Amino acid sequence: MNIKLNRRDFVAKSAWGATASLTLPGFLQQTIFNLDARAQSLPSPGGEGPIILLMEMAGGNDTLNTLIPYTNSTYNEARPTIRLGEEHNILKITDKNGPSATGNDEALAFHPNLTAFNQLWQEGDLGIINGVGYPNPSLSHFTSFDYWHSAEPNGSPKDGWVGRYLDNQCDGCGATTGIYINRRPTLAFRSGQGIGPTVTFANSQYFNWNDLASTGKEKSLEGLYRNLIGLDHAVDPGISEVDDTLAYVQRAAHSAMISIASVQSAIESGGDLLYDQWPTNGLANSLRTIAQLIKGQSETSIYYARQGGYDTHNNQIFTGDPLTGRHFNLLQTLNGALDAFIQEMKMQGNWDRVVILTFSEFGRKVIQNGSLGTDHGAAESLFVMGGQVKGNEFYGLYPDIAEDARIKNNSMDFNVDFRTVYRSVLEKWMGVPASAMPNIFPSQPVEFDPLDIIKPL
Amino acid sequence: MLDPLPQESWSRANAKHLLQRAGFGGSPEEQEAFYQLGVDQSIEAAVDSLLETNEDWSSVPWPEWTQSEEDPNGETYGGQNLRRRDFNRWYFENLNEGQPLAAKLLKFFVDHFAIDSAAIGQYYRYIGLFRYMDMLRKHAAGNVAGADHPFEGDERLVPDGHYGNFKTMVNHVSWSIAMIRTLDLYVSIRNSINENFGRELLELFAMGIGDIYTDDDDEYTEEDVLAAAEAFTGRKIYGYRYEVNDAARRQNPPLPPASIFQNNNQQDNSAKEFYGQSSMPGGGDIVDGDDIIDLTFNSIRTAKHLSWKLWRYFASPEPSKDLITALALRFRDTHDYEIRPFLKDIFMSSEFYDASVINVQVKDAGDFMTCLTKQLGAPLPSRDAMEDIMQQLGYEVLFPPSIAGWPEPDGSGNTWLSTGAMVFRMNMPSIWSHHNYAIFTTGRTRGSMEDFPELDWETIAPSNLRTVENFPLLLDALLERLLPNRSLRKSQIRTLHDRYSTVTQQLGSLEGVKELVQLILALPEYQTQ
Repeated sequence: MNIKLNRRDFVAKSAWGATASLTLPGFLQQTIFNLDARAQSLPSPGGEGPIILLMEMAGGNDTLNTLIPYTNSTYNEARPTIRLGEEHNILKITDKNGPSATGNDEALAFHPNLTAFNQLWQEGDLGIINGVGYPNPSLSHFTSFDYWHSAEPNGSPKDGWVGRYLDNQCDGCGATTGIYINRRPTLAFRSGQGIGPTVTFANSQYFNWNDLASTGKEKSLEGLYRNLIGLDHAVDPGISEVDDTLAYVQRAAHSAMISIASVQSAIESGGDLLYDQWPTNGLANSLRTIAQLIKGQSETSIYYARQGGYDTHNNQIFTGDPLTGRHFNLLQTLNGALDAFIQEMKMQGNWDRVVILTFSEFGRKVIQNGSLGTDHGAAESLFVMGGQVKGNEFYGLYPDIAEDARIKNNSMDFNVDFRTVYRSVLEKWMGVPASAMPNIFPSQPVEFDPLDIIKPL
Repeated sequence: MLDPLPQESWSRANAKHLLQRAGFGGSPEEQEAFYQLGVDQSIEAAVDSLLETNEDWSSVPWPEWTQSEEDPNGETYGGQNLRRRDFNRWYFENLNEGQPLAAKLLKFFVDHFAIDSAAIGQYYRYIGLFRYMDMLRKHAAGNVAGADHPFEGDERLVPDGHYGNFKTMVNHVSWSIAMIRTLDLYVSIRNSINENFGRELLELFAMGIGDIYTDDDDEYTEEDVLAAAEAFTGRKIYGYRYEVNDAARRQNPPLPPASIFQNNNQQDNSAKEFYGQSSMPGGGDIVDGDDIIDLTFNSIRTAKHLSWKLWRYFASPEPSKDLITALALRFRDTHDYEIRPFLKDIFMSSEFYDASVINVQVKDAGDFMTCLTKQLGAPLPSRDAMEDIMQQLGYEVLFPPSIAGWPEPDGSGNTWLSTGAMVFRMNMPSIWSHHNYAIFTTGRTRGSMEDFPELDWETIAPSNLRTVENFPLLLDALLERLLPNRSLRKSQIRTLHDRYSTVTQQLGSLEGVKELVQLILALPEYQTQ
């Protein structure tokens, strides 16, 4: 089997690839094998091009306790028992203060567990984007995530921003151009045109056809199965022209069979990782898999990882000690896993190829609640990291939390639209032309100028 | 709208469709008998046979370790891992052995009222989970006979009502340890509000948000979220899971172990405004959680949201707003949120048998697992294997992806078919066909399946059909069992025939049959219903 099979190869080999049914509704017409040819630019092939790692912090990260305005009197008054201060070994940013919506710069510090973040900041490889959000914020986890994933706030999301990016800019790229390490898929990857060139799986070891390996028989039904679903069949394309649901599943099966070959090939050629102190937890395992794929020169240009648990309505800290509790543990895990990933990238010589962007569906309320926690809020701070990131730099303005606590539903107000952040990464890092932005972001924010987050050449 | 399907439209295809959606399908014999019931008597008789409320779940008792006199949480049993796997398998026993519609509804409730076992916490975890599931499965069974308390210990606090009513169930859920812990009600007290439950009650359990199912009904506001949160205050858990002898630590009056009580001092008793109303319809202030639930369920938005979810679950992913309006009026006004009479309207309706409804669902992981074991007549795999399987299928009952549960298939079913889950669905049938345990992720799991029995191949593929000449009959028999309402393409039949001939000659017909079953179950066609 041709394990480096990509869509362009496939169309060339396939008797049916160029003749997709015209009777199907639009969203099912296109597959990873026959996207139409209106692409403007192609992501670079595996092993060389730029990579994005989207780091989702699910549940609503309390960025006020992540990037702490430790001298702000409102912060200290609003959070009498969960505040973090100088006595808690917070990692103060000493070289500069963060521009603030108040007009006065804000003294900021990393959470004491974010040691790797702090070091990257000092090395100039980490930028901070403050005050990120969108108009009319939804305080629902699910709606707000739909907005972040679709990049269509206050709309009715049908597809994802990464999905649309690939729909528009990815003709001819392989089936695993986007990889999400998770058990369940993300709206962010959803193509507007059927099955996009993205895959989602949790464990690469079991992401494989595995029929009779354990039974001692020297045979495999893999080839027969590919034939049965029409993948290698000379005349039967295997995609229903009359049944949308079935056609969808058939395309998903095709995508799966092609993807496992691609992923197994990359994992195999990557071999062992170089960094030898990887933590063992769910997030670290996800990032390990991503590091293996990068090392094995996977064709992938967008990776996606997720850490859940940030919905800290209670026990964000345990009684009496802000250096305990759920948020403390989450940030410890995040920092450890990302640190290992960054070390690995540096050892691989791939750090200059990667841009990591953290995000959550919303920040949390300024004033703590009655149960050592915080309720759903609005704007948040994002972190962007990478060897080519223009780091040691603040983007956006730290919110005026005194005013927000009073009048903005106790939630921080935004001054950078998250769509602008997405655009910045695509345009400045992936080289997507500005002319493609209307297709990728059908609803644009008022302020849509990309941020200069990448070092000049 | 919602006119009954004409008697002359009853067909084998419609009978199979109904059996599949109201339950988990049936054997070829069951499918035929169900069709004949509709012919001999009436469609209504066939539908009524699905709606029976005789399930008392006595065939699926709680595990022995929960029966401990000392501690209903199972202190006497081993570690958390074993309990977790026991619970997971017990849940699937309910799906497998319960009356099919009751099991199907249980699966819906587990998603609609998702709970997070991590948030429940170790101290209350298993007593909380089993009590919760017990309450859900009684509502799923629709057993209205008398009992109006969801579980011992909380009965004095639960308002009148009976099982099988959606509104009553929301109330019962709000008094359960599992939900009180999951959504932080136990820490939400007067003047120190935690909004978590109030928000999700409105968004997830009742009113919903957005304009997918309604254009013209107001959404609730942030002020309404706060009012709801204030109304549900002071619900506390009596902190002992078992009888304590120390008089000083007893409540007065004494409460049963691990029960919920209302702490009146911690309740916000102020009059509230909610969803544009400043008093109850019958007069009186809006004060507590019962009032909020009443007002919430009076709104047509709640009826539409729940009708929409139920239609999507049982029928099709994109119902029209007109259909939802018609359903909502039935649900709220005709049936007062009684679930089975409402489902009867759905299962009798012409709309349910429309071409836009047949075969348009991707099986969720629970459907996939339960259909497969029932069709093969196989027992459930070991508790270790069940956990492994459900992790790989993306359906861990104790760990929903979020408190919104497992997002539903939204048209194309892609929430259940991550690429990894798709690959596992292709591999998984070989567990049954060939005892292929290499797809499990641990040696422990593989070891736990050593004694897993062989399938009853004679029932699945009778010997007299296994000659190569009889291949068309054999394939028909297999498809009737495994792919009702689906047919294969000619090219597929040819490929299967050639393979069967070869393998039968080389390794015997049983091996040929095993491969046929494995391949059919792995097909994309098998993922839909």
